[in-house]
Amino acid sequence: MLILTRKSGETIRIGNDIKITILEAKGKQIRVGIDAPSDVAVHREEIYQMIKQQNILAAGYDDSIGKNLSHLWNRLKNPKEDVE
Amino acid sequence: MKISTTRFGDIDIDESRVIRMKDGMLGFEHLKRYKLFIQDEKIPFWWLQSVEDGSVAFVVINSLGVKPDYEPVISDAEVNLLKIESPEDTVLLSVVTIRSDPLKVTANLRAPIVVNAKKMLAKQIILVDSDYPVQYPVTENNAALEGKEKPEIPPSVSAL
Repeated sequence: MLILTRKSGETIRIGNDIKITILEAKGKQIRVGIDAPSDVAVHREEIYQMIKQQNILAAGYDDSIGKNLSHLWNRLKNPKEDVE
Repeated sequence: MKISTTRFGDIDIDESRVIRMKDGMLGFEHLKRYKLFIQDEKIPFWWLQSVEDGSVAFVVINSLGVKPDYEPVISDAEVNLLKIESPEDTVLLSVVTIRSDPLKVTANLRAPIVVNAKKMLAKQIILVDSDYPVQYPVTENNAALEGKEKPEIPPSVSAL
């Protein structure tokens, strides 16, 4: 990993069209401004990871539960009874 | 074309009904072609089956069915990428997570799958600066669940 030290107001450029500017450093929090082309997705890493994990969980769930989606739907409609 | 799937066995699918998923699903970037299955029109859960890997399928739900006032912001870049010309051609799908407690089933509203049903193009989009949750309870405020209305299948989806 390339490590650079920057002061508030200073910028890092990645390629021709991405700029990352350190706006403010306050204690443990650092505000960062990002200029990137609109087709470059910029996300907080934890959100990205959370969605990835959610997809993996959704695709790999126990088949016995989801095999019968009608059953699941009936169960949701009648939460108190275990409808067969 | 014939494909073998874990959940539906061997099925014959029409190539023109295959959805091309830009960049794949997060975590499944290598799989870019899917088929939407509506097994039972009376229930709002549908399947998004990978055409390339028969063992991969997601349960999805019409996002607007889960949250009727759902209004995700889709950027111009994404609209262009998916060649969306009209909102009527578009359907928003949320990935459903089923847990061991079936009542805790959730839908991902933070990263909808935006489908251009006309062009058969789709992309899972992570909403920027959005408070929509990754795990939104399907049982929350769901009119279809309360029996007030049947789950609605948008015309763009029936076309899939």
